Amino acid sequence: MLELVGVRHRYGGRVVLDLERFEVPPGALIAMVGPNGSGKSTLLRLLALLEQPSEGEVRLDGRPVSGGPARARPDAAARRRVTLVEQRPILLRGTVRDNLGYGLRVRGMRRTEVNSVIANVAARLGVTPLLERHRHELSEGEVQRVAVARALAVEPAVLLLDEPVSSADRAAAQTLYGALAQERRRRPLAICLASHQLEDAYRWADDVRALAEGKLSPVTPENLFRVELPNAGTGDLKHIRVGTIEIAAMTDRAGPAILAVAPSDIFVSRAPLTSSARNVFAGRVTRLSHQRPGTVHVTADVGVELVAVVTEEAARDLQLAPGGPVVFAFKASAVRVF
Amino acid sequence: MDFLGEGLRRALALLLAGDAEVTGVVVLTLKVAVTATVIACAIGLPLGFLLATRPFWGRRAAFTLVNTALAFPTVVTGLLLFGLLSRRGPLGGLGWLYTWQAIAVGDVCIALPIAAALSAAAVQGVDPRVRRTAQTLGASAWRTAWAVAREARFALAAVITAAFGHVIAEIGSAMIVGGNIRGSTRTLTTAIALYTGQGEFGLALALGVILLVLALLVNIALQVLQGKAHA
Repeated sequence: MLELVGVRHRYGGRVVLDLERFEVPPGALIAMVGPNGSGKSTLLRLLALLEQPSEGEVRLDGRPVSGGPARARPDAAARRRVTLVEQRPILLRGTVRDNLGYGLRVRGMRRTEVNSVIANVAARLGVTPLLERHRHELSEGEVQRVAVARALAVEPAVLLLDEPVSSADRAAAQTLYGALAQERRRRPLAICLASHQLEDAYRWADDVRALAEGKLSPVTPENLFRVELPNAGTGDLKHIRVGTIEIAAMTDRAGPAILAVAPSDIFVSRAPLTSSARNVFAGRVTRLSHQRPGTVHVTADVGVELVAVVTEEAARDLQLAPGGPVVFAFKASAVRVF
Repeated sequence: MDFLGEGLRRALALLLAGDAEVTGVVVLTLKVAVTATVIACAIGLPLGFLLATRPFWGRRAAFTLVNTALAFPTVVTGLLLFGLLSRRGPLGGLGWLYTWQAIAVGDVCIALPIAAALSAAAVQGVDPRVRRTAQTLGASAWRTAWAVAREARFALAAVITAAFGHVIAEIGSAMIVGGNIRGSTRTLTTAIALYTGQGEFGLALALGVILLVLALLVNIALQVLQGKAHA
């Protein structure tokens, strides 16, 4: 298992990642979502052992391999179990074939075996026609596919992908995800991918985690808002401005923070209900999406865009439809501040 | 203008005649320059790579030191080396003063900061993703360095050319620690200085032309190698 423990990572004195614990269990399929600058790429580089955390450590199978009190420097042996494909990958000098064979050659694999692995992985990723091309002869999407093939060729225990389909069209994305699924059926492989597309994350990952301002969201990735918490409040109840609405939350904190509301904590109705919920917002449905079997994600504009999750049966009973009226309600205690 | 024309005519005649003394000076100059360039680059290129890629305590000071050494006057280098190699100096036992080895050591001291500072700049110019890619694919430190060097090959070839250009044209240190002894430590630059002082302008000019031709040939050879590497 690959894990970060007590990691606070800084660039120029500014904390860009602050994680008490982040685990990638064997065989897991994790999607990290979050806006640009939320720390996804930094997290992946730390997991890939390409950077040492300023504080805390990276452990592989329980053994510290980077950082920690001893300031352990990751060695090639540890790095050979974890491979990263960057958001804008680069191909090394030479042909696509040279690139696919690079990781195998540095492991001392014989030429015949290298050629066999290259042929196999190139076929799976659909890059066989590109094998004799150089990097300047490829499109961005092709480079991305070759980079994933190059990473799969070395058969890592953990594959880290930073926005793997950002330059790919729909068909290329399907090929890529198909190849990853095929690889996971063939052998144990943990994948942790960063994406800013929530729908993709839900479609392909078993476990979706959200990162905001370098911190893990304690709830699901939807309904995250960067806010300024006021000093004043009734006890610990504060009314926090988010867009054109004010959200009531229980917190003793003040100043900048992230506010999160889990979609499963939002009650959905067509008209306001009498309840203990301090937050009741009327608006219109903007989108309905089926991201998990049996459930519907309801996106509504209630002054800000909020997402709630209901069962398919509830969506039918409420006759929810894009453009139709909807009321979202949630308790002040359901609002998480971090 | 007659003075210059006469000098060029004399230069051409000497070159065509294949004068033994001139040949000896050329051979010694090349021996010293090639030896010093090889040693300076063998130390300076890895040092530049470390400076560019490895964070360590005092790195900024090391950078400043190397960059300052770039502007170090060669006569001062020669003077310090003279003190070290003279009979009463700490390295006097080597008996290298007024030998070609002393000139080569002086040239190494001059070329080393050039090799280190310029190769550090060359490596820093390589896209950092190259290094990360090699590492994440499991390359050792040496394989990673090689992958980066391959990307910076043109800039690194220019570093070697610059180092060679400096040592072959160097005179201050060579004059002090070599002594400009005929048939022993006389290089092209020290010979040019001597013959100019003696009023042998034609001979000095001939050696100057040879120096330029040598520099040109080395540059052409490096460009051919770069071209082959690019193909």
